[in-house]
Amino acid sequence: MKKQSILILAIAAVIVVASADPTMAYTLLSPRRVWKTTPVTVAVYNQGNSSINDPDGGVSAVAGAIKAWGVVNSSVTGSAAVRGSAPPTITLNSNGHICNGSCLAATLTGYYHSEGNNTYIDDADVYTNTKYKYTSSKETDGCSSEFDIDGIMVHEVGHVIGLGHSSVSGATMFPSVAACNLDNRTLEADDIAGKNDLY
Amino acid sequence: MHRRSLILVGLLFVLAVPLAASQFIRLPFDQVTRESALIVRGHAEQTWTAWDDAHEVIYTYATFRVNRYFGESTGPDTLLVREVGGTVGDYTQEAIGFPEIRRGEDVVLFLSQWEDSTDYRIHAFNQGKYLVRGRGGMEVLTEDPVKQGDARLERPGRFDARQNADVEGPGMSIDEFAMMVEAARAAERYERPRK
Repeated sequence: MKKQSILILAIAAVIVVASADPTMAYTLLSPRRVWKTTPVTVAVYNQGNSSINDPDGGVSAVAGAIKAWGVVNSSVTGSAAVRGSAPPTITLNSNGHICNGSCLAATLTGYYHSEGNNTYIDDADVYTNTKYKYTSSKETDGCSSEFDIDGIMVHEVGHVIGLGHSSVSGATMFPSVAACNLDNRTLEADDIAGKNDLY
Repeated sequence: MHRRSLILVGLLFVLAVPLAASQFIRLPFDQVTRESALIVRGHAEQTWTAWDDAHEVIYTYATFRVNRYFGESTGPDTLLVREVGGTVGDYTQEAIGFPEIRRGEDVVLFLSQWEDSTDYRIHAFNQGKYLVRGRGGMEVLTEDPVKQGDARLERPGRFDARQNADVEGPGMSIDEFAMMVEAARAAERYERPRK
């Protein structure tokens, strides 16, 4: 009987370790949805964020950073986002009337349609809370109590392509970030597993 | 021994469940408490959705029947709570990771007023919303595991708040919560004259 209990505990421990495996902690948006074709071109609105001390207020830094996903291309546009209509657009100088308080950036989705058993994303737009100060990979003055716009937008574009939040601390898709944390510019194994699940 | 093992296994499973965290900047509990205009326990009675005047944002509205105010604040029996996101006709807006308001749910909310109206919003997003659950004859508060993007937003008559009734997770009792709110508000009263 004692041996049986030990065996049960051992099996349970293995299951627990497996279920807590951080490589499987990503989530997908519900319903599961993808872009019909890749690469997805995400536009960055050319009006930069005035708190970012690089030549264009973070626009080119973000346009470069979001390509980290591999299935995303970027462009810079002079056209403001149109909700519900592609291209998905990142806006750095407006909160879109949705992102304030402790929100750093927000992705508006809900624009998708079904074809047979598949659900396809039509649009997703990203807005930035201008109450905070940001830094970028193209700044040369370092980081002081600023939030990294590159990493934040890599996270948001994760939502644009269909990912939800991850419970893995350190993953780009983890739902919160501290000032001067630059780690979200680089995808972790969990983020890549999520992306590979979709595309 | 066998029974003890099963209890231990159950405990291990509970501890292994990843905790849902809030998007955005994670604020200390005391800060959320101090910044909130009202902290209430109540029931979302009616919900509806509508575009804003500029036809840019869809909001979900809820009439919220209050049955308890925490801290020293008090107010009316019914409040109007409004959150970003919802469905109007065939058009849905979801703000990924934002809290949802669902008809019929029993919740504790930290509330602040919108800048442009007297409506209330959930303060600090998901950090300002707790589900009230019965557990072992006691009411406990747990974080809402379902946020926008996790499930399609409510369409009238198509969502049953009881769907989440069996959600388990770490929680605190209502009394513990009330004491934490009191402590945060008391610290604020103590610090204020020194500023």
